[in-house]
Order: sequence, then structure tokens, then C-alpha cells
Amino acid sequence: MLNEPVVFLHGGVPGVTPYCSGPHIWGRCLELFAAERKVVALDLHGLTVDAQVQEARTALKEDAVHLVGHDLGGLVALALAAEAPQRVRSVSAVASVAAAPTGDGVVNLTLAHPPPPLWSRRSQAWALERVSYSHQHIDGALLDACERAARNNPPVRSEEFQPSLMAAKARLYETCRERGYPVPAQVVWGTDDPLGSFDQGLWLFRLIAQKQRAAQFHAVNRAGALPFREEPETFHQIVSAFLEGVSER
Amino acid sequence: MPLPEGRWIDVEGLRTRYYEAGSGEPIVLVYGGNFGTSDSASSAYTWNLNLRPLAERFRVIVPDKVGQGHTDNPKNDDYTMRAVVRHLAGFLRAMELPPVHLVGHSRGGYACARLTLEHHDLARSVTLVNSGTLSPGVGTNEVVLSRPPYPKYTAECVRWVYQSYSFDPRVVTDEWVNAVLEILALPKYRESVRKIEQEKLGVKLFLPELAREKRETLQWLNEGRLQRPSQVIWGFDDRTATLERGIELFRMIAQHERRSQFHVINHSGHFPFREHSARFNALLARFVSQC
Repeated sequence: MLNEPVVFLHGGVPGVTPYCSGPHIWGRCLELFAAERKVVALDLHGLTVDAQVQEARTALKEDAVHLVGHDLGGLVALALAAEAPQRVRSVSAVASVAAAPTGDGVVNLTLAHPPPPLWSRRSQAWALERVSYSHQHIDGALLDACERAARNNPPVRSEEFQPSLMAAKARLYETCRERGYPVPAQVVWGTDDPLGSFDQGLWLFRLIAQKQRAAQFHAVNRAGALPFREEPETFHQIVSAFLEGVSER
Repeated sequence: MPLPEGRWIDVEGLRTRYYEAGSGEPIVLVYGGNFGTSDSASSAYTWNLNLRPLAERFRVIVPDKVGQGHTDNPKNDDYTMRAVVRHLAGFLRAMELPPVHLVGHSRGGYACARLTLEHHDLARSVTLVNSGTLSPGVGTNEVVLSRPPYPKYTAECVRWVYQSYSFDPRVVTDEWVNAVLEILALPKYRESVRKIEQEKLGVKLFLPELAREKRETLQWLNEGRLQRPSQVIWGFDDRTATLERGIELFRMIAQHERRSQFHVINHSGHFPFREHSARFNALLARFVSQC
């Protein structure tokens, strides 16, 4: 059987996240997946969630795919699959603080005071280290790519982003509650994510799990907000088991 | 899905039944429950949806634990968890297996963890599935399953017990119920029921011994003695071993072992490997391949 392609959606909020994300954020984990199936890593620039959903939708070909989204990319993937369930076989939302409920949470201070100048190599290295359990995965290649991303797509901040995020989350939660989340979906979370607690990840799972039978939650030990970089083998193992398992049904 | 033909091996004088298929890395699947229960009876059949699919890539072995399935009852009325663990270790040695990937469900999860803690040389990795027996905290088996509304040894009773364990009652097929009834009808199994229920060795011996040993086992886990790649897999809707207990167990292990994982499977009660066998098998196969 030919394995369905897997499409990766990076996170990072344009103009807000103090490191520049993009297809490069997936690092070595793309190679691990590429050994077994076609891999596509999208480069998303939209300034609102809806803009990114449309960008991603346009980029998808006709074939059904598996989506893997990190943080904001997780919300974009969940929203896209809810909109076009026939195009998506499964969604894996990774460390997706963007999609997880926050309730009346307290402000997260992890990235409160980035060293200036913003989006410089040093400032981005600082941010990547702050969101990780261990700094070991932050190498020259990653910093080069982050610097390049900052140069090629100077970060722009949109006042419309936050409202679009809240609206997208509300639509997602309504879908989960009312008609049920329409495609198999799983939540992957690092046990030591400084940006979002284990509980937040588990709550995102609980929402999806209300009416979607094929829902799973996974914790990657000793990983922060970038589990696919921090523990690429474990991440690949967990996600590909899901893609394999849902395809078999 | 039928099991392969059962085989026999002598384990320290106990005639022991086991089922085996495939080749490659050895995986040993250990079911839950214990000897001497008259309302239900776990046996190798519990793993029938996993043994053959996993055997396409691994050597998969399912032993009948002492006093359960077709294996002899313990000698000298030693109806204890210690005897179960000793027999399981004896089985692995008698089979001359290299270090194996242990997969333990429920009481079998306790047995696998304890076996690893006592005989590190026998275990390569440990997978623990909905094991309330091993987890800290309050077990709710007795709340959910006490005093079934049907007579013991009947199909109705067996069905009620496993449906109470499950998320979807439809997963309890006639085939599953019949596999349990077959064990319940064995004379040697009736003998174990006499010991556990009539002679009350369950409350006088098995449970207090287990409680004593569990204290030590949890201490050992907290001290980081497990020392093998470990994963905890949990059916989300299990009313007898609730999710919180799985999380607590994972945290105990994960604080000492980098290679620890935690997985939750939705719409599943106590038996995620039966309610969602394809995804469970994929999860296990990928984990084992990486260890």
C-alpha cells in the first residue's frame, strides 16, 4: 500500500514569537518521515489564522493527507481538517498551545524579555533555548535558518491576529462539542513544555475526544515546546504509529 | 482471530501453557486478572487481536500465568503475586529467551514491573497498560465490579463483567465470552476458585501479600530502579483504573527514565488493545523497534 503523504505546518506567530519559525523548524524529523512516505513542509505567512488556513488549503493537492502542526500550525491543521475533512486522514497537534484552552490563565512569562535586537541570531537562540527542555538541539543550522527567515520575511505584527486566534479556537471547540471533531486526531505534548502545561495538552485532547473515537494523547518525556526537535526519534515513532493505525481501520 | 496452537513447557515443575508466533525481537504479552475468580477469567485469549498481527514483525509469546488459563495451579497453595512473578521469570528462563519486551496489562502490568525490578537481565523494555494494580492511588474495581447481578460461571455474568470494563459493550463478543467460559469450566480452575473464594485465600493471603509487596514495588519505582525504556498506555474511559492513576504512574517512572512515554487512547475502557487493536499494535510495534 502506498503511504499517504504527511504535511507539516510550522508554528510561530508572525511578528510576535521571538524566534522565526518556518519549514526549517522541523529539522531532522522530516528525514525520518521521508524514509516512509512523501513529506511536505509548508511555509505559512498569513497574518491571521484564517489566512493561514486558506494558504494551507491552497497548497494541498487533491490527495488525502495527514497533517502535523506545531503550536499555531496545530490550530491551523485542526481548523483546516474541520473545514475539509474529506481531504485529511488525520491531524497531529504538537505542543499546540495556540489550540489548547487557557481559561482565565495567568500570563506566561517564558518569553517576556527577549534580548534586543529582536530576531537577531542571539535573540532567537535565547528564545529557542527558553522554550526547550534542553538546548542541545539548537545548532548552527537551525540558527542560520532562523536568521535567514528573519531576513527574507521581516516579521510583521497584525492587530487582527489575536481576535482571529480566539475566533478560530471558538469554532474548533464548538465543532468538538456539537457535531464532533470529524477526523482522527491526536495531541502530542512535551512533559516539560514551558509554554503550556501537561494539563493544557490533556484538555485539548479531552475536547477532541468528546465525539471523535480515534483520538489519542501522547506525552514525550523531557521535552519542551519543540518535542520533534528535542526527541526526533520518539516523535517520529509516536506520530507514525498513529498514521499507520488510523490507515488500517 | 484464533490463537496459534498452544504449547507446553515445564517451569519449575509447573506444566505451563504458552502461545507463540513469528520471529525477531521477542515480545511477551502478560494478561491481567488472577486465579480463582468465578465471575471472569483472563487467559491468553485476551491478546488474540494482538498476537498474530504483531507476529508479522516480532516473535510474540503469550504465557498462561500460574493458576490461570491452562497452566497448573501454584504448588503448596502459594496463591500469591510473588508466585506469579516467580513463575513468569522461570518461564522466561526456561524458554531461554534473550531480554524481552514485556507488555503487561492490569495485574499483568504489576507482574511485569516487579519482574523487571527483580530480574533486570530478563527485560529489554516495559509497556504497562491500564494497570491499576501497579498504580498508586485508589482502585475502583471493587466499586464497578462487585457483586455481579448474575450467577457466577454463567455467560451473562462474564459478559456483564467485561462490558463493565469496556467503553463500548459491543466489543464483548460471544467468542470472547466463550473463551472465558472454557477456562472457568476447567477442573483445575474450579479448584483455584475453591481456594480463593471458599477457603478465602483471596482475602487472607493474595490481597494482603500484594498490598505488602506493592508498597515496596512503588518505593522501588520512585527510587528509579526500573531502568528500562518504559511506556504507559491508558484507555481513557476505564472506570476501574482511572486516567489520573496512569498519569501518576507515568510520572513516577519518567522522573528517572528519559525514555518514558505516556499514551492515552480515547473511547476505550480497561482493554485498549482489544477496543483499538490496530492503533495499539502500531504503537507497540514502533516503540519496540526503537528500544
